[in-house]
Amino acid sequence: MPAARAAIGLCALVVSMVASAAPPPDFKALAATPRWQALMHVNPGATLRGVGTSYVDDDDFFLAADGKADPAAELRATWQALEPEEGQVRCRFPARYRFLAEQLGWDEAAPLAHCDDYLAWREQMPIGQLVLVFPAAYLNSPSSMFGHTLLRLDATPEPDAVWLSRAINFGAQAGGADNSLFYIWRGLAGGYPGQFSVTSYVEKIRDYAFVENRDMWEYALDLDAGEIDWVVRHLWELRGINFDYYFFDENCSFRLLELIKVGRPHAPLMTGLRFAELPVNTVRALYAADLVAERRYRPSKAGELEALSARLDRDERALAEALRDDPDLADSRRFAAHAPTRRHLMAQLAYQALRLRNREGARDPDVARKSLALLRVVQRNPAPAPEPIEPPAAPEVGHGTQMATLGAGRQDGRDFLSFGYRLTYHDLFDPMTGFLPGAAIEGLDIQLRVDEDEGLDLESLDLVNIRSLAPRGNFIKPTSWFVHAGLEQAPVADEERALGGFVQGGPGASWRFGDLFPYVFAVARLESVSGANPDAALGGGAEIGVAFQAESVQWGVHARWLEFTSHFSRLRTGLTVNLPVSHENALRGECSHETWQSDAVTGCSVSFRHFFD
Amino acid sequence: MKKIIVAAALLGSSMSASAVAPGGPGCGWGNLLFEGSSGLPAHLLATIVNGTSGNATFGMTSGTNGCDTGGTLTYSGNSLLAMNGVLEEVAQDMAVGHGEALTALTVAMQIDASDRDHFNSVMHENFAQIFTRDDVSSGEVMENINAVMKHDDRLSRYVS
Repeated sequence: MPAARAAIGLCALVVSMVASAAPPPDFKALAATPRWQALMHVNPGATLRGVGTSYVDDDDFFLAADGKADPAAELRATWQALEPEEGQVRCRFPARYRFLAEQLGWDEAAPLAHCDDYLAWREQMPIGQLVLVFPAAYLNSPSSMFGHTLLRLDATPEPDAVWLSRAINFGAQAGGADNSLFYIWRGLAGGYPGQFSVTSYVEKIRDYAFVENRDMWEYALDLDAGEIDWVVRHLWELRGINFDYYFFDENCSFRLLELIKVGRPHAPLMTGLRFAELPVNTVRALYAADLVAERRYRPSKAGELEALSARLDRDERALAEALRDDPDLADSRRFAAHAPTRRHLMAQLAYQALRLRNREGARDPDVARKSLALLRVVQRNPAPAPEPIEPPAAPEVGHGTQMATLGAGRQDGRDFLSFGYRLTYHDLFDPMTGFLPGAAIEGLDIQLRVDEDEGLDLESLDLVNIRSLAPRGNFIKPTSWFVHAGLEQAPVADEERALGGFVQGGPGASWRFGDLFPYVFAVARLESVSGANPDAALGGGAEIGVAFQAESVQWGVHARWLEFTSHFSRLRTGLTVNLPVSHENALRGECSHETWQSDAVTGCSVSFRHFFD
Repeated sequence: MKKIIVAAALLGSSMSASAVAPGGPGCGWGNLLFEGSSGLPAHLLATIVNGTSGNATFGMTSGTNGCDTGGTLTYSGNSLLAMNGVLEEVAQDMAVGHGEALTALTVAMQIDASDRDHFNSVMHENFAQIFTRDDVSSGEVMENINAVMKHDDRLSRYVS
C-alpha cells in the first residue's frame, strides 16, 4: 500500500486493506452488469453477427488476449492493470476506472491526476447537456431520409451559444484517394473501419444547414452530469478505436445508441433486432426509453428563406427578387415607397436568396459586391420584431418505416387478391405528416397476386424507386428527378403479360401551389421481358402528372408515354387516392389503363396499408 | 491579454502585420468576406455512408481550416471567423442586429452576458466601419471590431 493512500484517513485505510486482503472480486458477476456490458460494447442480440462478443474491432481496446469474446476475462485484466496508483493504463480507460472504483470501493482523492492528455482533453469537453442531432431529409435528395445522427455536447444545461459546442460523430474512415463508387460499395459492404470523432458543432451546422440545406432536429437528452461523465470518459477510451462499419446495421445511429447506453445502461435502447437502423428509429428509441427532455428545430438556409418570403406579399417578393439582381434598386422611389421595416425584410430576403445561390463554389467579386450592398440596405433600415419560424411536423411522428399491404382488385375482367411487403420507406401518396413534401424513396417493395386463373404470381418487385418533386419558386429553381428499377409484369402479346426487368428515370420540373404539385418528367427506359421479341427494348418519352399532398388525403393522376426503338409505343394513365385512417394505417385505391400497339389493359384495386417498425 | 489572444485566435486576427500568415500556412485567417463554401465531400459520399475522408479529429488537433493553434485554444483549434462560411454569418447578424453567429462571437470573446445586447447594438451601428469592403478579410474584421470596441465605454475593457 503506498503511503499516499494510508494518509487519506482511517476509514479509507480500512476499506483499502479490506479490498486488498479480500479474495479477487467475482469477475463473472461484475462483467454481467449492464454497465460493463455497455463499456465493452457487447452485442446483446441486436444484430446477427457475433452475439455475445464485442462490436469493437481493434486490439488496442482490449487488455486481455480474448477480451473481445470474454468480457469477464477483460474485466480481470482491467482490474490488474488499473489497480496500481499512477498507472498509465488508467489514463487510457477512465470510464473503466470509474466502474471498478465504484464497484470495489476504491477511494483515491485524485486517481487520474497524472493523466495530462486526458485532463487537457476533458477541459475542452465541459459537461452541461448531451443532445442528439438529426439533420432531416433535404430538398431534392430523398436518399437523405436515411440520414445521419450525431451527438452534441454543450458546456452548460442551457447553452447560449451552441455554435461553440462539441459535435460527437461516428463515421466510416475512408482514405481520401478512393473514388465515390468504390467508397459507397465499401461503405455498404463493411470495407471501412468506423471511428468516433469530436469536432466543433458550428462545422456541422455549416455542412448540414448552410451547405446542404437540411433542417436540423435537436433532441436534448435527459441525462444528468454524472451520466454524461460516463459517456465522455468512455468517448476517450474510443479515441482512434476501430469498429466495423456497416451501412445497414452497425451504422452511426446504432453506435450512438451504444454510446448513450454507457451513460444509462438500464435504458432499453438495444432491445430486439435492429436491422437497417434508421435515424428516425433512433429518435423513437430514445423517446421510448424516456430519454428525450426537449426537442428543438433549426431551420436550414432554404427554410429561413421560405419563412422570410412568407412574411412578404406578392409585390414585395417581386421587388426583393429584382433587388437581388440589382441592389441599386434600393435607391429607387418604388423601394422608398415601402415602410422601413418592410424595406429591411425585402433586402434581407434578397440577400439570403443571393447567398443561397452562391454559397458554394469559388468567390465571385460581382456577387460579393452585391451581397455587401444588400447588407448595407438591411442595416440602414430597422428590423421588425423577429418572428420565430414555425417548425414542421418532426420526423419521428411520421409513419413506420416498413409496410405490409393486403388488397383486392380486378384487371381485364379477372379478380385478384394482392399482398405485399415494403422494407422502406415512403412514396408520394403515403401519409405525409413528418415527411418532406414532394420526396419519395422506396427500397425492396414486393407485390404478389393471386388470380383466379393463374394462381400466385409476382406482380412487381421494386428494388429502388426514388422520386423527387422539388418545386421551382421565385428564388430556387431545382431540377426534379426520378429513378426506378425492378421487375414487373409487362404486357407482351394479346392479353398476356410476362415478368420483365426494367430501369427507368429522368430529369423533370415541378411546381407547388399549396398542397398541389404539378410535374413533368423526361423518361428513358430500358427493359427486358421474357418472351418478348426482341427481348430487350430501349424507350424514351415523357410523364406528366399532379400530386396532391394534404395531411388528411393524398391523391395523384399521371400519364406516361413511351416510344421504343423497336417500333412500338406505350401509354399508361393512372389515378391513386390514399386515405390515412390512423397513424399507422391507410386505405388506397388505384386505377390504371395501359395501351400498347392495339391492345389495352385496365385494372383497379383497393388495398389496406399497414406501417410498422 | 489572455482574452485578447483567445478572441483574436477565434476571430482570426492578425496580431502582427508580418508577411507570414498567422496560424501558419494553409490557415484560413486570410479568408475574405463572401468566400464560397467548399471542401465538403461530394454529398453522395457523406449521405450514403456518412463518411469522413481523412483522419478523424478528436477535438485536439487542428481543425479543418488548418490553423495551428498550439493546443492552447478551445473549440478544437478552429477559429470561428476563419472558418469557411462563418464570416458572412457574422456580417448578416451585425446588419440585422442580432443572431446566433453574433452570440457565438460574444461568448468566444468572453463578453459578459449583461454586455451582449450592448455589444450587438454597437456592432450594428458601426457596421460600415467593420465591414469596410466586400473583400475584407477575417483578420481585418477582427481588428475593426477591436477598434470599435476601444472607443466604447462599456466595451473597451475587453480589448485593453
